[in-house]
Amino acid sequence: MALLVIGISDYQVSTKPEDVMITYSLGSCIGLTAYDPIAKIGGMIHYMLPLSQIAPEKAMAKPAMFADTGVPALLRDLFSLGAQKSRIIVKAAGGSQLMDQNKIFNIGERNFLILRKILWKNNILLKANDVGGVISRTLRFEIDTGRLLVKSSRGEAEL
Amino acid sequence: MNIKEQIVSKITSFPTLPVMANRLLHALNDPELASADIAKVIQYDPALTANVLKAANSAFLGFRNPVNSISEAAFRLGTKWIFQIAISSLIYSNLKKPIPGYDLDEEKLWKHSLAVALMSEALCALLRVRDSGSIYTGALLHDIGKAVIGEFVSAHFDEVQSLIDSRKITFEKAEEEVMGIDHAELGALIAENWRFPALIIDCIRWHHSPDSAPNITPAIDIVHIADSISLMEGFGYGRDELQYQFSDKSAARMNVNSNIIELAVSQTVMTLEDIENIFKDMPAARNGQEVRK
Ligand SMILES: [Fe+2]
Ligand SMILES: [Fe+2]
Repeated sequence: MALLVIGISDYQVSTKPEDVMITYSLGSCIGLTAYDPIAKIGGMIHYMLPLSQIAPEKAMAKPAMFADTGVPALLRDLFSLGAQKSRIIVKAAGGSQLMDQNKIFNIGERNFLILRKILWKNNILLKANDVGGVISRTLRFEIDTGRLLVKSSRGEAEL
Repeated sequence: MNIKEQIVSKITSFPTLPVMANRLLHALNDPELASADIAKVIQYDPALTANVLKAANSAFLGFRNPVNSISEAAFRLGTKWIFQIAISSLIYSNLKKPIPGYDLDEEKLWKHSLAVALMSEALCALLRVRDSGSIYTGALLHDIGKAVIGEFVSAHFDEVQSLIDSRKITFEKAEEEVMGIDHAELGALIAENWRFPALIIDCIRWHHSPDSAPNITPAIDIVHIADSISLMEGFGYGRDELQYQFSDKSAARMNVNSNIIELAVSQTVMTLEDIENIFKDMPAARNGQEVRK
């Protein structure tokens, strides 16, 4: 088994059934997995911010920093490896916030909002999500089965 | 002794910072001294000089010729960069130890502190706030109280957490209720014991409650905002997770909007990686050791 750690502002794709992807400490960031169960191709992204327009040069260097550059890049890579859009299963977790958070500074909420827009535009359904709260989450994603485990202080559950 | 007295009694046995830290801060705040004098102060300490040069050379492998003096490093990288590396390397050993009470593994508090410091620096630049060197230092030390209160949090965590769950209060308020003191106040007492400048002590004391400060300064607001964003973005979580509040008033005083915040995040994440790598194999500064005058 190869353990692939997806860092902050990073994404990876894999076609190897033995691979397991992990991402740690999702706060307002969002961890998203996309999986084709027939081709057994999957990928994961850990993005920090909603829109790349605030720093286009950073988005060039690290597309996975932003939802609007990272998520399409992840999907493109999966499709070029043979994943089919009609079969793709997308799940997301993260998007936490501080207590009683004001909307303007709620990066987590904005991260999730933009994601829904991107997926809607691309005609892709969000199969499951676990977002919000004042907790930090860790994700574990198996390429072989597409299983996604969400771990937090509240325990561990499959999404 | 009650819990609070037990906690506070630990302060005097907490490692002191190398005197170089005070000397650097003094040089930073002395209007008589030119910025080049920071370099002179660093040169007094051979170990610190070695650290800064090592950092300078590993940061910019592109240099055709290695940098071999502080003044040259200051010339190529800027005095601000030199100061940040120097003060960070002096504080590093106080922050890198694991803190079990908060479930902070080795280097976790260091990474969080560094993120808040770099985010403060980015905000100072974007908002044109002065005293960025002192604010950087205050940000680096804002959670230093956790290093002392950690073992007590360990013993009382369930009490703290159930108070948060039942009354929806923030983590530091629950700390205060259960133990009589929170990590912010304790950190301020530690910095007072180190005879640090008032600006830095204030940044530490009010980092979760800027609106309660008797004298609210941009420095306090910057560190509060930088800490809140770093918590949101997941730079070094402990068991306290995101159970804190972001003051809208603080944001309003500094006139920040979501664009500025997101810009600061995007800038910080890049530099954070670089500096983390620089420190990966940095020898720790010797705690409390006197350097030759
Ligand atoms: Fe704190
Ligand atoms: Fe903090």
